[in-house]
Amino acid sequence: MGFNSRFWWQWLLASGAISIFLFGLPALAEDAGNLYNTSYDIGQGQRYFERQCSRCHGFDAKGNDETGAPDLTGRLSRASTNVGIFNILRDGIAGTAMLPVAADLPDSQVWQLVAYVDALSIDPTNVNLSGSATSGAMVFTGRGDCNSCHMVSGQGGRLGPDLTRVGERRDPEELMSDLITPHEHVAPRWWTMKITGTDGSYREGLRMNEDSFSLRIMDNDFNLWSYPKTRIESAERIEESTMPSYAQTLTESDLDDLVAYMFSLRKEI
Amino acid sequence: MYKIASLLIALCVSIPIFAQEDPFQTVITPAFSPITWERLLNAGDEPENWLMYSGTLDSQRYSKLDQINISNVATMELKWAYQIPVIDRAETVPLVVDGIMFITEAPSNLVAVDAQTGRQYWRYDHELPDDLRICCGRNNRGVAILGETLYMSTLDAHLVAIDARTGNVLWDVAVANYQEGYSKTAAPLIVKDKVVTGIAGGEFGIRGFIDAYNAETGELEWRTYTIPGEGEPGNDTWSGDSWKTGGSATWITGAYDPDENLVYWGTGNPGPDWNGDARLGDNLYSDAAMALNGDTGELVWHFQFTPHDVHDYDSIQVPILADIQFEGRTRKVMMWANRNAFFYTIDRSNGRFMIGKPFATQTWAQGLDINGRPIRVPGMEPTYEGIMVSPPITGGTNWYSPGYSQQTGLFYVTSFDGEQEFFKRDEEYEVGERFTGGGGRYAQPMDAFHSSIRAINPVTAEIEWEFPIMPRSSAGITTTAGGLVFTGSADGYFFALDAATGEELWHISLGRRVHAAPITYAVNDQQFVSIASGNVVYTFGLRD
Repeated sequence: MGFNSRFWWQWLLASGAISIFLFGLPALAEDAGNLYNTSYDIGQGQRYFERQCSRCHGFDAKGNDETGAPDLTGRLSRASTNVGIFNILRDGIAGTAMLPVAADLPDSQVWQLVAYVDALSIDPTNVNLSGSATSGAMVFTGRGDCNSCHMVSGQGGRLGPDLTRVGERRDPEELMSDLITPHEHVAPRWWTMKITGTDGSYREGLRMNEDSFSLRIMDNDFNLWSYPKTRIESAERIEESTMPSYAQTLTESDLDDLVAYMFSLRKEI
Repeated sequence: MYKIASLLIALCVSIPIFAQEDPFQTVITPAFSPITWERLLNAGDEPENWLMYSGTLDSQRYSKLDQINISNVATMELKWAYQIPVIDRAETVPLVVDGIMFITEAPSNLVAVDAQTGRQYWRYDHELPDDLRICCGRNNRGVAILGETLYMSTLDAHLVAIDARTGNVLWDVAVANYQEGYSKTAAPLIVKDKVVTGIAGGEFGIRGFIDAYNAETGELEWRTYTIPGEGEPGNDTWSGDSWKTGGSATWITGAYDPDENLVYWGTGNPGPDWNGDARLGDNLYSDAAMALNGDTGELVWHFQFTPHDVHDYDSIQVPILADIQFEGRTRKVMMWANRNAFFYTIDRSNGRFMIGKPFATQTWAQGLDINGRPIRVPGMEPTYEGIMVSPPITGGTNWYSPGYSQQTGLFYVTSFDGEQEFFKRDEEYEVGERFTGGGGRYAQPMDAFHSSIRAINPVTAEIEWEFPIMPRSSAGITTTAGGLVFTGSADGYFFALDAATGEELWHISLGRRVHAAPITYAVNDQQFVSIASGNVVYTFGLRD
């Protein structure tokens, strides 16, 4: 039986594990898993991604509600290591539309694709921010009063997105944009609806979900309301955020600290 | 002796069971008389059955059943549900033959159930290789029937003939090499004694075709390529050798006019989809309707909706045929709401354009000229940096079946008003690899766009009414003599509209996206309506 090139990386990992066992070296399983992670490899991986994967995951890899393909630019729900990504690419995900890559695709190209997917999310250890996360935490609950609308680790308000792991899905530049121009990209979940019912009642609240025949909102008192559309006389949809811009109300230093704090909010490994 | 005793015991035990009110006892064992070509020709006259993908050869999806109608549809209730065991996307349109329903499942399986209860007679699981090349999910949309044989397309580009009484395979032919990117997802169409069938793979640089197989033996009777070969008329609409990898797939079911003896079939995008630099010219017969002689496959006429397409605006729609009053006389027309967001009424005897207008938001064309050819807006081709164009890649509509009502004379289509950023990339063709030359990106959430069911007057090409839904739907439409339009939505509803006004009369939340078209049928004088949602086929009827 000859050397099977498809599984060389498993051999490599096994060797690494043996080395660690024998010599007590620090574990570097992820890095050892991908030797194809230069900028050239990432570029090649991107070419492959755009050609083979973008149909479902989107040209920007941000996922597609219609195909059910997830956003790949943040933390991946099904793989926490490069080896995990490799295995998904090789084997697909049973019971989903995620098919394996072509069986005859060389491992080297699969690893280039892994490198591209990995590069889609920022490695926080490589990011140097001018702000202080510790100070940002104080701004968050102090001058910024962010916690009156946002929860972190179960503490805070309900009128904005839960930010417990926001650092996994937003990079520092996006976080700063969220603070300064909150109306730019507002997910439909955070649009506001102003509804007059056929019974004359008026309610205003966050648009939790809307479909062809019904609508659900949460008002400012956190009451949940579900309307059949046949019982709505008129509805105004405001596709803006209820969050104010903090460009004028917080200092640059505060904003930098807030960004540093929010970027630090991620699942502890 | 032991066997006889066992039999006696079994009989004694079973007598009291049969004496009970067992609902299965009320089902008359279906006679299932063979489906002759004459029955298929007159399928509209036996509305208790749903004998082909689009109901009838003219693909109107109009049923003469009226037990369920605008006055009582509000009392519809669930009768049974069939859970598809393989979790994937169900695009199936079942057939119903004399009380038996045939349901295709992902990836390429088929099950026969009692149409009154949903309980299984038999199933066929098609064995598939591991290295399939499929662009857009593991789908199968349905089967065809002739005699006592079912015909099914499979993802490994085979056509399989299956005994309708047992599920046994009668023959299995490879239509094309799946390793080169060919696959099959659409229900075939029976034309006389032939099985007419298309091919998928337009994202893999295939060369498309429409085939006809001998229904008895599985032998290929004729093949018509959707891209002309060297020396054939139209080959010069492809620069260089681009015709060899030009796509133009045929992945949805066509229609047939027995008087004209013409098979009508839509063709898909030229490849690579979003980069037309290497395939200069009109790229015939991509994005077109082709009319083929039913006996020979000879091309009689064609109508190209989108010459030199660079936006993936497949003409993969089901053609609907009808005879309508147009400018004072009866005309034999073909109605077509295209993915490029224009609606067309075409003379189906000669392919001449009669009228056409946008039915959904579009920014790529200024309009249509007197021959129906689009007048392009300059500078709307995909770029390396990206350019915003309407409709998006998924189109103003797509493969999902439209419907036509003989009562209202209206054409019904699921439509989408959206936009997408189109990107262009340079790619070399490699056998069996994707060959698309770019892609697309939505810049806004789906909820920001507008979707609706639109009723179009084929005489004026004007929209008569619309019913808003959300978000973009990929459900087909069925109409009935009960004055109804049945369809579903991406948010998991199944609903009935008044075909004349668009007023909503009934809806139910099924919880998962509807990717299929409804059918209606009857058993023991009771009308049913079935629809696949998520991985379940649901069947409804009036409250008992």
